[in-house]
Amino acid sequence: MILIVTAAVNGSLPKSALELVTVARELAGGAPVAAAVVGPEAAAAQLAGYVPQVRSLQAPELEPLRAEALTTAAQQVAAELGANTVVMSANRLGQSVAPRLAVRLGAALLEDVIAVSTDGGLRAKRYSYLARVTETVEVAGGGATVVTVKPNVFPLPEAQPGGSVAPFAPTFGAQDTRVTVGERSAAAGGRVKLEEAKAVVAGGRGLGSAEAFDQLVEPLADALGAGIAATRAVVDAGWRPYAEQVGQTGKSVAPDLYLALGISGAVQHLSGMNRSKVIVAVNKDADAPIFKIVDYGIVGDVAQVAPAIAAALEESQGS
Amino acid sequence: MKIITVLKQVPDAEARIRAGSGGVELDGVTFVIDGMDEYGVEEAIRLREAGHDVEIVALALGPARYEEAIRTALALGADRAVHVETDVELDPIAQARVLAEVVRQEGADLVFVGGKQADWDSAALGPALAEVLGWPHSDWTTELKLAGGALEVRHDTDDGQESLTLPLPAVVTTQQGLNEPRYPTLPNIMKAKRKELAKRSLDELGGAQPLTRVVAQEIQTRERRGRIIEGDAASAAAELVRLLRDEAKVL
Amino acid sequence: MIGFELSDEQKQFQALARTFAKETIIPVAAHHDREESYPEEVVRQAHEVGLLNVSVPEAVGGLGLSMLDEAIIAEELGYGCMGIYTILMASELGIMPLLLAATPEQQARFLAPLLEGPKLAAFALSEPNNGSDAGGLRTRAVFDGDEIVISGTKTWISNGGIADFTVVFATYEPELKHRGTVAVVVEHDRPGLSCNKLHGKLGQRASPTYEMVFDDVRVPIGNMLGEKGDGFKIAMRTLDKTRIPVAAGAVGVLRRALDESRAYALEREAFGQPIARFQAIQFKLADMKIALETARWQTWHAAWLADSGRPHAEAAAIAKAYASDAAFAAAQEAINVFGGYGYMNEYPVEKLMRDVKLNQIYEGTNEIQRVVIARHVLQ
Ligand SMILES: Cc1cc2nc3c(=O)[nH]c(=O)nc-3n(C[C@H](O)[C@H](O)[C@H](O)COP(=O)(O)OP(=O)(O)OC[C@H]3O[C@@H](n4cnc5c(N)ncnc54)[C@H](O)[C@@H]3O)c2cc1C
Ligand SMILES: Cc1cc2nc3c(=O)[nH]c(=O)nc-3n(C[C@H](O)[C@H](O)[C@H](O)COP(=O)(O)OP(=O)(O)OC[C@H]3O[C@@H](n4cnc5c(N)ncnc54)[C@H](O)[C@@H]3O)c2cc1C
Repeated sequence: MILIVTAAVNGSLPKSALELVTVARELAGGAPVAAAVVGPEAAAAQLAGYVPQVRSLQAPELEPLRAEALTTAAQQVAAELGANTVVMSANRLGQSVAPRLAVRLGAALLEDVIAVSTDGGLRAKRYSYLARVTETVEVAGGGATVVTVKPNVFPLPEAQPGGSVAPFAPTFGAQDTRVTVGERSAAAGGRVKLEEAKAVVAGGRGLGSAEAFDQLVEPLADALGAGIAATRAVVDAGWRPYAEQVGQTGKSVAPDLYLALGISGAVQHLSGMNRSKVIVAVNKDADAPIFKIVDYGIVGDVAQVAPAIAAALEESQGS
Repeated sequence: MKIITVLKQVPDAEARIRAGSGGVELDGVTFVIDGMDEYGVEEAIRLREAGHDVEIVALALGPARYEEAIRTALALGADRAVHVETDVELDPIAQARVLAEVVRQEGADLVFVGGKQADWDSAALGPALAEVLGWPHSDWTTELKLAGGALEVRHDTDDGQESLTLPLPAVVTTQQGLNEPRYPTLPNIMKAKRKELAKRSLDELGGAQPLTRVVAQEIQTRERRGRIIEGDAASAAAELVRLLRDEAKVL
Repeated sequence: MIGFELSDEQKQFQALARTFAKETIIPVAAHHDREESYPEEVVRQAHEVGLLNVSVPEAVGGLGLSMLDEAIIAEELGYGCMGIYTILMASELGIMPLLLAATPEQQARFLAPLLEGPKLAAFALSEPNNGSDAGGLRTRAVFDGDEIVISGTKTWISNGGIADFTVVFATYEPELKHRGTVAVVVEHDRPGLSCNKLHGKLGQRASPTYEMVFDDVRVPIGNMLGEKGDGFKIAMRTLDKTRIPVAAGAVGVLRRALDESRAYALEREAFGQPIARFQAIQFKLADMKIALETARWQTWHAAWLADSGRPHAEAAAIAKAYASDAAFAAAQEAINVFGGYGYMNEYPVEKLMRDVKLNQIYEGTNEIQRVVIARHVLQ
């Protein structure tokens, strides 16, 4: 039995949850797949369109969602269903819960995987060395395994309607709620989510200021229907929120188009975007390392080139 | 109060990584203390500088060459160090069990772990260690305050940031933004020579078995067009849009 | 047996100096070169992280680094900018005579204050009318009761006008030639001392070089190092050691020439391929690599001899002459690798050549190094 553990975001199922179905089916090889979903029942019902057995996790202890409480809940569902493989998204929540769950289940952890296979034991591919290396990892002993899945890599699954949803009420201990959650700030909504965007417009320190970032990046992102990303330098300067940071210690994205404006191309940044299908960079320094990995590059001042691209896009869409 | 900062030694981010049939080849590569771990050492020092009475112990699990990274932590300001020396490649979950044993024996109150390792690209060690210890944790932490036996932190979540209050003892994983690590100065490098660096073996700590195994490694490559578009802003932009539409077909 | 491994600590010095060169020196090097301006901020930060005056002994509160430690650091700083490194190096040069010949009281009096801030020392041997012939000094030292009165002119003195003190070599009895010389510490604020900054240097333009005019400058006799007649000996024993950092700085320049050439050769295309594919270019890189390894090992070997109290004059002379000649040749070839761009100051390689030219001249010209080496060969 393969168990998917996921949580609704703002009341509905994120795209990454459906990607987990694809992975779970590959791992199951015909064996049953189940899911545990934190959030409103509607989210569980949505997943039941793909997975035969869904447990809807409802408890006051799961709001706000804390790593230890979700670990406890996931462990109990796994025990109830006799699951020996648990699949989660390698987003921040998954990266926080999966290692705990692995310890609790005495399981191996396959982290942030981009491909899985089951012939001759469970194997997965993942990146290492700041995403410069692709490695194949196998589970040493057999036994239970927790897998976290890199978002935006696996295709969406075909629907398999008719799954059932049953409520599940985990029992919690005092330690599950000992962390108090205070104020939360969510990234400004409205725009397509960075992780799910087909196109990403990313800005670096070369944009010069927070105002310039907004003025140059937003119109381009609007024109492309793109998500907005930033480098650490930008985030550290307070021009953009942390949630938009791409790189080693930020998000990892792989859109069809990644447009980098005023970004030098430090390894730590590249490790979060080097799987993008097409990379474009605008930088005034022809020797900037980013140009080593571009499909298309323009050497020039972003203040001129970015509006020109926006204008050209508008024209091309008009015609 | 005792603070343990866990550290790894990793290839310098600017080092060129090569791979052969046996996987990644690290001969001749410059190794450094993982940048993410420096944030932890720095934060521990800042707690001391803020007036808290702390002992800072650097803890590392890895081969003999890690000693250099440990010396760096001592030069930065850790008081002493424990090195669990082994050539066995342990995955983060297996490592967590070994490190937890040291943390217990030391009776630490707070453990810093790097948010993400620059060699394995793993973020698992911190949460796993917290779980083995039965402690709470905060990951991707960007702000930290010690207030009356509890930790008040701010950390990154999937869609923003969140404030947490954690009872001690606790594990904190770092994120850039937490602080700006200092240089180890020459005088402090000299002083570090006289600080205690205790060696422990895996056996003394109950042994460990890896749960996963790396069976192959190759350099990630992707063919890129590498085309620089010439011309003034307007014509280069127009050409770019044409190429994205007609050649790359991503519009 | 032979050991070639640096200690963990030395690796950390190296890492610190490398980071310092990258983050603090390289970004401002071209500016100070162009403006011929003193990099005050760099020197201040060097003091802050402990890279300044590293040879001051532990007994007076310093780090007491060995010659090998200094050579390891020198390579990194020379890689960043040989001119800026000369400021730090010349200060160690001013300190060395006190390590060799000062009493503990003198060390405490002169060296301890150097540690308090970004302060420098200087070494004044050369004069307008004699450099290589150091025995033929014309600057006079007259003994007057418990004072020494100095008169004459020193020139090309690195740090001269900004150093807290300068070790001045002078003659009290010209007839005795080098046996009639003394080494005297002259503090910066002694009346009668005036310093003029020299302009128009080919390279190392960040390093300030001075003419120092001594117009009956009086210092207490307690400022004399060693005995009457020791001056020349102290100067020579100093240079036997400090030529090692001169060599190490040149090794840094050599490594920079190779790194810059390598990067450019991989980028620059001609005839439809990167120029690194041409064997003519490859051989230039290979020759630089040969020189780099050879120069570094000879330098470290000389440092090791000095640190272990063995005779090292010849080894230091070999290191200084070889490393600076090889670095000059490499910098010169680097310009060739860069083609026309190499000739422009927008690219870093022409500066390497201008800077490292001086390593062939100061602390004894390379001709004089060969005189020293030949003397050992024929002995
Ligand atoms: C442990 C660790 C983790 C890190 N994690 C991350 C991470 O997750 N993500 C990340 O991004 N970084 C990360 N970094 C930081 C990374 O090393 C770089 O410092 C950072 O990516 C640089 O951001 P930047 O490209 O915006 O700025 P810079 O490197 O300053 O580059 C700015 C660029 O803009 C160009 N430019 C300037 N003006 C103009 C103009 N008018 N028009 C066009 N171009 C212009 C310049 O030529 C330059 O290339 C991490 C570092 C460490 C040590
Ligand atoms: C920028 C700069 C900074 C300096 N900093 C200092 C400093 O801090 N302190 C200090 O004391 N000096 C300093 N010097 C002086 C430097 O050490 C001398 O210039 C050097 O020793 C050569 O002396 P000279 O210029 O008088 O040349 P000369 O001695 O006149 O030599 C001229 C030429 O004759 C050759 N020659 C001379 N004698 C012989 C011989 N016996 N055999 C073969 N060839 C010979 C020389 O090699 C040279 O090629 C500095 C010089 C410069 C340019």
